Amino acid sequence: MTVDHEHPYLSQLRQQLRDNRIDRREFLRTATLLGMAAGAAYAVAGLPAPARAQEEMPKGGKIRIGMHVQEIKDPQTLSWVEPTNVLRGCVQYLTVTDQANITRGQLLEKWDPSEDLKTWTLTIRQEAKWRSGRPFTADDAIWNIKRVLDPKTGSSVLGLMKGYMLEEYDTGAQKDGKPVKSTRLWSDKAIEKIDDKTLRLNCKAPQLAVPEHMFHFPFFMLDPAENGAFKVGMNGTGPYEIVAYNVGQNAIVRASKTYWGKPVNLDEVEFVDLGTDSGATIAALASGQVDGVYDVDFSELDTIKALPDINIHSVTTAQTSVVRGKCDQKPFNDARVRQALKLAIDQQKVIDIVFRGAASVGEHHHVAPVHPEYAKLPMIHQDIPKAKQLLAAAGYPDGLKLEIACKPSPAWELASVTVMTEMWKQAGIDVKINVMPAASFWQVWDKVPFGYTAWTHRPLGVMVLGLAYRSGVPWNESNYSNPEFDRLLVQAEGILDPDKRRVVMAKLEQIMQEDGPVVQPLWRVVQAAYHKKVKGFRMHPTEYIFLDELAVEKA
Amino acid sequence: MLAASLLLFLLFELMPGDVAVAELGPYSTPEQRDLWMAANGYDQPAMLRYFAWLGHFAIGQWGESRIFLAPVARIVGTRLENTAILGFWFFAVLIPLSLGMGVLAGMREGSWLDRAVSAICILTTSVPPFASTVLVSAVFVFDLHWLPGTSTMLDGFSYRQLVMPVMVLVLYDFGYIARITRATMADVMATPYIRAAILRGLPYRRVILRHALRNALIAPFTLLMLHVNWLIAGVIVVEYFFAFKGFGSLILEASLGKDLYLLEACTMITVAMATLTQTISDLGYLVLNPRMRSV
Repeated sequence: MTVDHEHPYLSQLRQQLRDNRIDRREFLRTATLLGMAAGAAYAVAGLPAPARAQEEMPKGGKIRIGMHVQEIKDPQTLSWVEPTNVLRGCVQYLTVTDQANITRGQLLEKWDPSEDLKTWTLTIRQEAKWRSGRPFTADDAIWNIKRVLDPKTGSSVLGLMKGYMLEEYDTGAQKDGKPVKSTRLWSDKAIEKIDDKTLRLNCKAPQLAVPEHMFHFPFFMLDPAENGAFKVGMNGTGPYEIVAYNVGQNAIVRASKTYWGKPVNLDEVEFVDLGTDSGATIAALASGQVDGVYDVDFSELDTIKALPDINIHSVTTAQTSVVRGKCDQKPFNDARVRQALKLAIDQQKVIDIVFRGAASVGEHHHVAPVHPEYAKLPMIHQDIPKAKQLLAAAGYPDGLKLEIACKPSPAWELASVTVMTEMWKQAGIDVKINVMPAASFWQVWDKVPFGYTAWTHRPLGVMVLGLAYRSGVPWNESNYSNPEFDRLLVQAEGILDPDKRRVVMAKLEQIMQEDGPVVQPLWRVVQAAYHKKVKGFRMHPTEYIFLDELAVEKA
Repeated sequence: MLAASLLLFLLFELMPGDVAVAELGPYSTPEQRDLWMAANGYDQPAMLRYFAWLGHFAIGQWGESRIFLAPVARIVGTRLENTAILGFWFFAVLIPLSLGMGVLAGMREGSWLDRAVSAICILTTSVPPFASTVLVSAVFVFDLHWLPGTSTMLDGFSYRQLVMPVMVLVLYDFGYIARITRATMADVMATPYIRAAILRGLPYRRVILRHALRNALIAPFTLLMLHVNWLIAGVIVVEYFFAFKGFGSLILEASLGKDLYLLEACTMITVAMATLTQTISDLGYLVLNPRMRSV
């Protein structure tokens, strides 16, 4: 990128790196976010760019990966990661956030945010082309952005970008006596075409994470000529062509000869559906029917470790589940009760029992060590006498009787709730577990008085706090409302400097620990397993598979 | 059948919104869900949708599967075919094995052979399929490396992949049939007409094959017919564990995926199959037991 277009904050960032005030990873993350090309950022940070040039990688060959092959109606409305692992080879994104949490351009060459982070100019790679031969243009990108933001499409990108790209309006229609609301672009100029390879997003509000949102997993760039329909042999800009897609059985992708980028190593990848029984997964891996499996449950770890020639790949994530009560209902309206619930828990013990140690300790504030602005606070340890004391002070000297809603799958959620109920019992809190089928649970997850809710990995700590704990936002399942917290959060969201943001973050984390609505025992670790002959696999925190990085050694 | 289909439809009605959530994910907005429901015809009254479905079903239009995105009839067809192959080999091994052992054991009640057969039968039948699947794959896949671990049949039909599912089913079931055969055989051997035949000096072989077997097989035959039923829906565990794409795992996938049309079709087939096998077993009974013919 040219210097005169550079975001003014980049020079400060360089200085901070020189003064060792931020680490290299943080520099890379923020610099690439602000539009510095990833290669240049790595060079400034004095790090070798990750081995994307794969000289030693063997060429050719085929591998099989065990993974659910689920239905795809529309690539932009997917709610599961598995189908995107097949699609990711065939269609591409504007950006990609890699395994090290660094965001780089895929179809985009660069992006330039304005200083107030409200105007984002996106430049598409000159060489980017559809496999059909037509160049990938700004019109294609705009068509896709408009499509995911149309409520009729049903894409989850809408919820992500609603705050800064859309506005609510009254449709005039009525349902059950209430006016029906819908959303539309907040302005005619919200998405602007500059030229064939350049477009601009004019946002309603400042937003730091635009490049990360462009890598939200269903945000694929589909061919407008095919109206975004999914089919075997569909067009795309990616290196692979889907040659078979049989739901519940298998999916096959084959390397295309007309890909615009660097040729890929593998000729063919087949995804094999092994059902959901973990026994089948291990058995298929052991007898060489598959060369790798998409996800390894912690209960399978010991068995897989015993298999020869199989590598286990793992990474700590910002995925978690939190226990939360409704802060506007008794007894959770008392901060002392909320704190007693936290103090009764021995996080390490939960991890040891449920995951046999394969998870990281949570600190009850929902900001993960992998987040750039994470501030280390003194660890909260189990303290049963203090928990009892707090309960008594709150007016519950004889303890409490509660009912917690949770779902049976994944199995570790129910297991950790069960372990925690035993710990609460010691503090005089008697908790009954109400296990609901997952589908029913998701109907009421934000309505039950007391529940255990799963939250997925998000790249920034402020994103999570803003989604879940700001007063009055749709996903604030605990109805938590703290003006001081809200004020600090807005402040943190406006600070680009991760060092300075961390100072505010420490205060936010402390409020979460002392006053906040959640008990958070752990952070998830995710694993996959591959045969040693499979090269180039790196575990992504959201379990994305990048087919273009893989290769296989010939037997 | 009508009652079963209606019941299933009503059960689905009790969980409104579920289909849209399953389709668009837990984080979709209520507005997106409403739009999806309307676009896919879920906003019409339940009774209207039920009768529309029933009419179409009766004339052979079973609708589209929500999770497989293909005609229900086609999916059910291929899955039934796979389970039929599994079932064929299951019975091909089960019938000679269990009847043979049962007859051998029942011929001489109390002999060492009888005791040995009984012991084996009780041992194998007492291990449920969900345990024996693990056991069998631990031995043949992980220790001996003889057999492939799953039976997806993706590279075309493979006998090697069929071995373990059939083995597990037979292990669980043969003891039961063999024990019943043994019991009826022992009863028959104690009847006066068999003793009379033996005392008259007919060859033992002839007594067994011509006189005893026919009467001893009535109960096992009825049981075996019932097992066709059991196989259709009861192989879920085995098919699931070995990732075998049969009818049992289809029922499971359809119910987990809230695929109403597919589940309705599966239920209809299961009920139809039950009726059919009952009829066959009643007819077979007539052939085996002459006394029934005059009634």
